[in-house]
Amino acid sequence: MSKTMLSIVVLYSFAYLLLLSAALFLFIFTRRLVVEGRERKDLALYAAMEEDLLQVLTAADPRGSARAFARKHRTHVRVLKQLLVAYREALAGRSLEPLGIIFDRTMRARCLRELRSPWLATRLQNVRLFVDFSSPDEAVHVVELLNDKPVVRLAALNALTGVASPDTLGIIFELFEKDPRPNFFAYSNIFNSLGQRIEPFLRASLRKPLPPEKLALLIEMAGRLLLRGLYRDVIRFAGHGNKELRIRAARSLGRLLAPASFRTLCSLAADPAWEVQAQAIRSLGHLKDRRTVPVLNKALCSPNWHVRYNAGTALAELGLVGVLQLQEIARQKEDRYAADMAAMVLDTLVLAGGA
Amino acid sequence: MAGILSLLDTGTEHLILAYFLLLNTFYFLFNLVSLAGILRYRRMVTFVRFGEIFRMPIVRPISVIVPAFNEEAGILDSVRSFLSLRYPVFEVIVINDGSTDATLARLVEAFGLRPSRSVFRRSVPTQPVRGIYRSAVHPRLIVVDKVNGQKADALNAGLNISRYPLFCAVDSDSILEKDALLKVVRPFLEDPALTIGAGGVIRLSNGCVVRDGQVVEVGIPRNWIARFQILEYLRAFLGGRLGMAKMKSTLIISGAFGIFRKDIAMACGGYRADSITEDMDLVVRMQKHMHDRRTPYRIYFIPDPICWTEAPENLKVLARQRGRWHRGLVQTLFRYRRMLFNPRYGIAGMFALPFYTVFEMAGPFIEVLGYALFASHVVLGRVDYPFAVTFFFVAVFYGTFVSLLAILLEEMSAHRYPKLRDIFTLTAAGIAENLFYRQYLSLVRAGAYLDYLRGKNEWGAMEKRGFVKAGQAP
Repeated sequence: MSKTMLSIVVLYSFAYLLLLSAALFLFIFTRRLVVEGRERKDLALYAAMEEDLLQVLTAADPRGSARAFARKHRTHVRVLKQLLVAYREALAGRSLEPLGIIFDRTMRARCLRELRSPWLATRLQNVRLFVDFSSPDEAVHVVELLNDKPVVRLAALNALTGVASPDTLGIIFELFEKDPRPNFFAYSNIFNSLGQRIEPFLRASLRKPLPPEKLALLIEMAGRLLLRGLYRDVIRFAGHGNKELRIRAARSLGRLLAPASFRTLCSLAADPAWEVQAQAIRSLGHLKDRRTVPVLNKALCSPNWHVRYNAGTALAELGLVGVLQLQEIARQKEDRYAADMAAMVLDTLVLAGGA
Repeated sequence: MAGILSLLDTGTEHLILAYFLLLNTFYFLFNLVSLAGILRYRRMVTFVRFGEIFRMPIVRPISVIVPAFNEEAGILDSVRSFLSLRYPVFEVIVINDGSTDATLARLVEAFGLRPSRSVFRRSVPTQPVRGIYRSAVHPRLIVVDKVNGQKADALNAGLNISRYPLFCAVDSDSILEKDALLKVVRPFLEDPALTIGAGGVIRLSNGCVVRDGQVVEVGIPRNWIARFQILEYLRAFLGGRLGMAKMKSTLIISGAFGIFRKDIAMACGGYRADSITEDMDLVVRMQKHMHDRRTPYRIYFIPDPICWTEAPENLKVLARQRGRWHRGLVQTLFRYRRMLFNPRYGIAGMFALPFYTVFEMAGPFIEVLGYALFASHVVLGRVDYPFAVTFFFVAVFYGTFVSLLAILLEEMSAHRYPKLRDIFTLTAAGIAENLFYRQYLSLVRAGAYLDYLRGKNEWGAMEKRGFVKAGQAP
């Protein structure tokens, strides 16, 4: 490239860059002014709407007032959405009814239309609105999204938990069983928020030949939701060949607190895998049964740190009997590791007492 | 001979021009990708209530690990900010890495700490631990006093003591916004199987006012060096790192605020104690580990959880900091050179590492070469002044344009600078930094490369002023 040519290119680049920079600066500046103006306007509108909404919520006829509110504010959907979402957070029970009416009359049709939008973010936003305002008969619209991308699928699942009927519960469990890449964290929160009504579905799923990781979550949920009716289904997994399932069974048994699980937990405390031992020891502590003391004392001398730690914590859970054992072990000189662990647990007890 | 020299001269000129064009074009592209990413993120989080995560019955607990060395000036504000984080289950582990000032004494006094007889597993070897302190008033706080190692060693001590499956490494001169953990943990909840790390945005607290461990007033500092750095951080985090994360090319999650899966970090052996930039080293090593085991993974960059940190306000301290960063970069790139252009390591090997090698590691040399060439042409009277002046302005406005894009990204993401005047100030800084600051940093970074080759491996002391409290003049 000749020098002249290069000079021309550089000169043009300079002119373009100067113009581009100036234009971008003006854009940023103007955008800021526009955004601030809109924010001020929205804020004023929000305050006015909020005042009206508070009147609706305290009116003698909230349904009629809600309808009037919807008529008055239906043109300001953006701000209205924010208000409804904020008040959905703050309210509970029957006082949510007027919000549902306002939603129905102002944005329900649009929301349903946008559930089928080609844009993922739009679908997502609208599914999330459904989490708050959908009614059981609308579940069918959300079910369609269960084959969508994972993030939408999760939002749809969340929406379904809000309108849980036997049908939707069946759909949720069916989806869980078939999900090729389940987000276990999300499923556990969904099951957890559904509560004890999932017991029959959980029982049916536990009896199916599902992959171990799915069974593990189901066993975990049985314990977490204190579904004592599933005790027999859970204890079945204490002798399972899969280590993870034995761990989950041990944890659930510690939560279900059935006295009959003492023997099973004692045998799990002697499991070849230290992870299972550690969990079984922890669960034995939850039983608060004095018969566990010898097992816990022995576990406190385990070569594994986790087992020792859980044994110490479990002894502390037993109350005075456990504390006396811990003090004794802390004083002995034969096993320094056990003594250190006992001392640490006692120290933590003192700190917790101080708190 | 004269012909060869002239050819060499022209070749070097073209190399510098090509480098300049390519570098700025890459930054421009990263900014565009980031812009698309921020717009999408804003839409994706609409109606997501972060409070919902707070109320979730099952969450992933986090250990916040805070290495501290001679941080008496700001440690209390920082720890208060970490303790007041909105997250259901977390612990704060402060590692006093053999401080010679009153860091430990201040912590003990302020939080009512007392020695605890904790025992822990030494999964990663570290310098000896002298004592572990706990507080009855703040059960979430654990302070570990250990013999001085380096930052990586302190982080490893924190990893040994931590109990939770995720850990968040933060600097002790930083302040996390209340919802920062709730926001940055989202990828670990939405994609728990694949996510191994996530980072948030680092902003400078210079010019801001802090009350009760939280930034309550955001402002631009009066010091121009700090102003230039604000712009640099905006470009680096909102433009560069977000863009690179979108292109699955993240090599750095800042040590000032990053969250990782502990099992993966431990499987890699924790932080490398002799590493100068332990944050980059860990991220590259984790990626290597995942690729070696052919396990898919994702590292995310989230544009709105914010960590505020203090930046140096004089050139000497800045040079020390940037020199260290550059030595760390060179060290990491040398250490993992086998990943370079190796298709086995995916985008990290084929794009991210080569990009860092050419533009970040070799960049300062090419820039310094350009200045040297210009100076030699001035001496020899061979400068085409109209061309040189125009080219200089092209360089200034290309840089300014990229800086303006970063300001736009800030406006569209967190939008933390509330005054209209701030846009003017940042734009002025975007122009002014081209006049001296950039050249100075290029020289510093080129010198740091030579320091690395000479085997310099020290951190160098940073002067800490502490955060400006409410009521004080920033």
